[in-house]
Amino acid sequence: MENSKTTILRNRPQPNVTYPLKVIYCGHCTLPVEYCEYYPEYDRCKLWLQQNLPAEFEKLISISGGIDDENSEEKKRQKRGGKGMIKTKKKEGPKQICVSRATRGKKKSVTVVTGLNSFGIDLKIAAKFFGTKFACGSSVVGDDEIVIQGDVKDDLFEIIPEKWSEIDEDFIEDLGDLKR
Amino acid sequence: MFKKFDDKENISTVQQLKSSVQKGIRTKLVELYPLLEGYIDTILPKKENFRIVKCHEHIEILINSSGEQLFFRQREGQWLPCLKLLHKYPFFLPSEQVDKGAIKFVLSGANIMCPGLTSPGALLTSVDKGTTVAVMAEGKNHALAVGITLLSTDDIIKINKGVGIENCHYLNDGLWQMKPIK
Repeated sequence: MENSKTTILRNRPQPNVTYPLKVIYCGHCTLPVEYCEYYPEYDRCKLWLQQNLPAEFEKLISISGGIDDENSEEKKRQKRGGKGMIKTKKKEGPKQICVSRATRGKKKSVTVVTGLNSFGIDLKIAAKFFGTKFACGSSVVGDDEIVIQGDVKDDLFEIIPEKWSEIDEDFIEDLGDLKR
Repeated sequence: MFKKFDDKENISTVQQLKSSVQKGIRTKLVELYPLLEGYIDTILPKKENFRIVKCHEHIEILINSSGEQLFFRQREGQWLPCLKLLHKYPFFLPSEQVDKGAIKFVLSGANIMCPGLTSPGALLTSVDKGTTVAVMAEGKNHALAVGITLLSTDDIIKINKGVGIENCHYLNDGLWQMKPIK
């Protein structure tokens, strides 16, 4: 147990390997692919891997010994409580972007965009983008709100899905005129 | 350390460092991790400025110009690499391997206990007390945590009880989930 245990694993750059190494991270749980099985939503991870990196998926399945094997293991595993449970990140509510118009003075108006944050978009960059696109003032207000000066509501429906491909036009809701 | 860490709540300031201070940190890192010497210029290019993120509980995180987290430390402790960096350069820390059963506990932030380091699935690299180590896992290629040894490896084998490595940063903790800072 003494010396055989203290084997040196790897503590120097290995020849024939160029650094930095590229590690594949799961798009669902952000862990390296090999640790997905310890994430509570392993099924979702597998789905992601299958869709995005089929080659890696094949490898993983061949290592773990097929899908059927996994399922039987799951039944044995304790599902409730225990210190070893990893908690999933809480997902925020439904993803939606709301655009509305608010009046400013008698004949001027501003456009309010909320909900961009839930798509993981940097609000500062988005505000700057709107500003340059519409040639107007645009600023981040509060936690998850962008105010664009001028009425550009109709244009937003086209421009937002164009700029961020993950957002579909259906996610954007028109709230009409709102008072500020 | 990062179990309840949130990049919105726990960051107080992001600071650009003076170039003399940057130089100091760079030499200190090479001193701490001599194996990094040939690669320090690719991690922290001399021309680029890196920044420091000051967080609550005296945590400081070193980020490069594109906002990726590289190293962190608490108070005046030693600099520890972030896991994303360690995955790219896995050689510069001595690695300790834990057995399979320990993985899920480590992934939920537990300190590494001695029995998990001495069982048949585990492997140890002999180091002294207080060394920064990468925690690997049986059958896996990549590190799952970064920690500091609380006992020397000889003691770990001898005592075989209690905490052996303090878990400082693990996969999917607050630091791991932190987004690049602009």
